[in-house]
Amino acid sequence: MSADALGWARMTPVRAGRWLAGIVAALIAISLLGKVGFVFALLIALMLTGMPVSISLGLTVLTFLFTLTTVPIEAVALKLFTGIENFEIMAIPFFILAGNFLTHGGVARRMIDFATSMVGHWYGGLALAGVLACALFAAVSGSSPATVVAIGSILLPAMVKQGFPKRFGAGVITTSGALGILIPPSIVMVIYAVATSTSVGALFMAGVIPGIILATMLGITTWYRAWRNGYPRMPRATWAQRVRAFRRSMWGLALIAIVMGGIYSGIFTPTEAAAMSAVYAFVVAVFIYKDLPLRRVPKVLLDSANMSAMLLYIITNAVLFSFLMTHENIPQVMADWIINHQLGVVLFLLVVNVLLLLAGNVMEPSSIVLILAPILFPVAMKLGINPIHFGILMTVNMEVGMCHPPVGLNLYVASGITKMGITELTVAVLPWLFTMLVFLVLVTYVPAISLWLPRALGML
Amino acid sequence: MKVLDHLEEWIITFLIGAATLIIFVAVIHRYASGLPIPGLQDWLISLNFTWAQELCIYMFIWMAKFGAAYGVRTGIHVGVDVLVNRLPETWSKKFILAGLAGGVLFTALVGTLGWVFVWENGMHYAVYHALGIDSGDLPEGPTAPDLEWPTWIVYCAVPLGSYLMCFRFSQVAWHFAKRGELPHHDIAYVEGLGADEDVLAPRGGDAR
Repeated sequence: MSADALGWARMTPVRAGRWLAGIVAALIAISLLGKVGFVFALLIALMLTGMPVSISLGLTVLTFLFTLTTVPIEAVALKLFTGIENFEIMAIPFFILAGNFLTHGGVARRMIDFATSMVGHWYGGLALAGVLACALFAAVSGSSPATVVAIGSILLPAMVKQGFPKRFGAGVITTSGALGILIPPSIVMVIYAVATSTSVGALFMAGVIPGIILATMLGITTWYRAWRNGYPRMPRATWAQRVRAFRRSMWGLALIAIVMGGIYSGIFTPTEAAAMSAVYAFVVAVFIYKDLPLRRVPKVLLDSANMSAMLLYIITNAVLFSFLMTHENIPQVMADWIINHQLGVVLFLLVVNVLLLLAGNVMEPSSIVLILAPILFPVAMKLGINPIHFGILMTVNMEVGMCHPPVGLNLYVASGITKMGITELTVAVLPWLFTMLVFLVLVTYVPAISLWLPRALGML
Repeated sequence: MKVLDHLEEWIITFLIGAATLIIFVAVIHRYASGLPIPGLQDWLISLNFTWAQELCIYMFIWMAKFGAAYGVRTGIHVGVDVLVNRLPETWSKKFILAGLAGGVLFTALVGTLGWVFVWENGMHYAVYHALGIDSGDLPEGPTAPDLEWPTWIVYCAVPLGSYLMCFRFSQVAWHFAKRGELPHHDIAYVEGLGADEDVLAPRGGDAR
């Protein structure tokens, strides 16, 4: 992504020199704190060169092992093989594949039609339908950017044609698309579950209620703004039209039942459910909706493999990194420090939120979860925070991080669709971003929102 | 070179597709063999699918290693580019080259580590055995629990994938040094989406 395209000026050499000097000084200061400081300073320095996060993680670990420890190098070699030798992780490629089939297969379009027929006649019309459609698509797809692409590339042009300001539409879809990782299935949740050995099924269930609440809150914000500004509404759909739209989108909606029902009833493990939904999505896209010609299938497979391989590569290297962390007892030391200083749960969660939001400024969600979850999780456990609640909290933080610059993935996707600059988009998403922050506070301090459903279902 | 490109694409496409089918068939088999249909049930029970999970994991590991190399070519490996993009042009070029050099270095190291590991965990024995050389008291190396394949063959994914990735990083660095272009992955671009919504709208970038 070149800076010029985003409308950011390059710095003058003098200013850049000052910045670099400042950063170097800060990193040296951190590395004087001891082994741990050195690890983090090295990691940050490598990442700032712009090299892939996975490579920075791996190089940090190798440097550390070669210079500062006596860990046998064979242990590292073995970790490189066994790091992703885990059937749970394999849910990620399957969910990515399923999501790609759904995006290309006309499922999103039918969901939009259904959502429009249900809520299109209220204030905000198509925009409100966009929120609902994003929530529905999120329930079959595990990724946020994919949700923005699937819903946004169809809905945004239609909204502009109806007379909505471009900003308004972009704001709605960018933030609603973030529901993709909160409403199950969710790739970020699978990654959290793998990093902390919690149950994927329970996490998925825990995401349902927060997902519905956030969708409602985003919907209310949308409705209010549309009502204030008098944006266009759609004619009310008759019940016959609604039933028809529902029946047409039923094949896509059935996937919700397959994934959630299958996991809850124990028919499938989450990974198997992911594989089933990939095959199901393929059948729906190619043979039922016929929106995806058979000759384009290899391309979809290749793209999914590309995306999955990138994530799996980060995971391998992050496993190495967290192996190093545990070997050096870092989470333990941090936990003891926090408990000795009597930082309460409230303060700890506040610090976690700020830390995650800051990390969300520079990294994408999977890397953040992989690097920070193994460090923060043991501390949270010592403070008696429920692992599932902590997972949902991290997921919501990641959602917020995806919608604000400089590396909000959703922003980039939306900017690709709307051809708007990142700065303009940032202003556009503000009302909804604020709503999300309110929701974040709610989720952080009211554990019942996340824990009620899995408890009621007896999964905790 | 073209052959290598296509081979790489072909391998990962096949692996993800085949792994999906295998798990699908294994799950269907598990439930279908519970159905009391005479004849069919006996036949289904006689089939053994316990190896499906293991095979799927191995296929995905191979896909991940080769896909990571393919990903270098398509520019999908994301980094933190906030700082680099704001530095003066000539500086950021040096930073990006340093980043790519890091990639070359890391993948070369990992490839070599992996190679040593594979060699010591069975390949040494297997090669000597196949050539009829007396292998002395070399251990035979472990085998996978369900498939009973020697694990060194499975683990070859790491050295092979890493060396290929190393090659791809060098290739990208070379191109960047010469022409100043990096491969760029565009997530927002979806083929055939939204196209039939706006058939009459002018296509962007078409100057005719």
